[in-house]
Amino acid sequence: MTTDVRQYGELGTQLLQESRRSTQTDTLLKYNDTLVRSIIREQRDLEKSILSQIAKTPENEPPPPGVIILQTAILRNKRCLLAYHSHRLDRLRDLYWAVGGALPHILSDPDTRSKLSPHEVDYLRSYHSSAMDFRGEFSNELDIMASITVPPKELHVSVKVVKDCGVIQTELGTIDFKKGQRFVVRRADIEHLIVQGYLEEVSGS
Amino acid sequence: MSNWDDDRDADVHMAPPPPPARGALELEREREETPLELLTRHWMNERHAPEILPAQEALLSSILDHLRRQSDAVQTLRGDPSTSDDEHLRITLVQLDIERVKFIVRSYVRTRLYKIEKYARYITSSPDIQTRLTAAERDHASRHADLNDRHFNFSVLQSLPEPQRHLDDDVPYYMPPMMTTPDASKPVFVHALKDCPPVVLPDGTRHEMMKGHISLTHFSVVEHLVARGEAELV
Repeated sequence: MTTDVRQYGELGTQLLQESRRSTQTDTLLKYNDTLVRSIIREQRDLEKSILSQIAKTPENEPPPPGVIILQTAILRNKRCLLAYHSHRLDRLRDLYWAVGGALPHILSDPDTRSKLSPHEVDYLRSYHSSAMDFRGEFSNELDIMASITVPPKELHVSVKVVKDCGVIQTELGTIDFKKGQRFVVRRADIEHLIVQGYLEEVSGS
Repeated sequence: MSNWDDDRDADVHMAPPPPPARGALELEREREETPLELLTRHWMNERHAPEILPAQEALLSSILDHLRRQSDAVQTLRGDPSTSDDEHLRITLVQLDIERVKFIVRSYVRTRLYKIEKYARYITSSPDIQTRLTAAERDHASRHADLNDRHFNFSVLQSLPEPQRHLDDDVPYYMPPMMTTPDASKPVFVHALKDCPPVVLPDGTRHEMMKGHISLTHFSVVEHLVARGEAELV
């Protein structure tokens, strides 16, 4: 189908397909600003058509049935837009929790950053502060941001340093993690560094 | 698996007498559940239930207090030069145990957080559901609902023509509602902890579960059994 002949809602379908692709491949796709804008334009056009249809209708007469089709298209497009954004927010929150709430880690990654819309960056910042407020409700004993994927089997873990991450407080005192070094440390102390990819767990011994 | 059981035993011995966190029903059991067993049950229920369940604030704070006391004791013993090697080994076990209990608490809290975020609008619009949350969770729910609305406003709604700018559309019957609500008909595996009064299945038949039975059914069918502690989700 050529671009100048388009059915109502076709762009909305494209947008939903992006969301579906994102779920199926488990990746965050780039924010499709162009498509979102085109749909918003379509919405304005549809609204105008409705208004003109109603204006043409003589008083005391029901508007032509075509209005229902326009109205349905409007509602559908709007839902597609909201669903697309909502789906992205879900993904962003997953991303946020996957790195243990390390927001700078997400925002400083140029690849991820380029996929976000400016509003989404704002959203992540507000979400982060909201999550931090919630975390503050718990005592220092319990960090609710830490990983919940695998229950701990051992207190200590043997790790390899993949990226320099500076001086870290551990129960053995402070350690300056330099690339290539290996340590046996308490898991709870450095778990967040594993999550963020600074350290790598070495299995065995 | 045996490892885990050992851990549990270790904690049971060190646990203070379980607080009377639950009502008369609990007394009918042969023995009372330890706080950890109770927490594990609530954690499992929360993980499997589509709805958010009542918060267990008293239980959670007593467990957190206990964890704090344990950690303090561990710190003191570790710093004490007269602690023997054998005791050091035991301290390690206690520490691991603490980490494992923390894991459950964390997972429990995060499961609730996930539901709160997913159903934020639903929660803020229903005073009944809000009674199931802690104050902190309620705050988070309303913050989150506003945050999402704001994002929708900035990204989509404010660019649309005026009549389309609302989030609370009355949608025609063929469209799903605007608000995400929990699906109470979600299938769950339910394990009877005691002989349960009969429940009515969606097709109208009655179903009675004896102690120890496991059934697969809609959450809404057994919701009240879970709430009363007569059954647990597995």
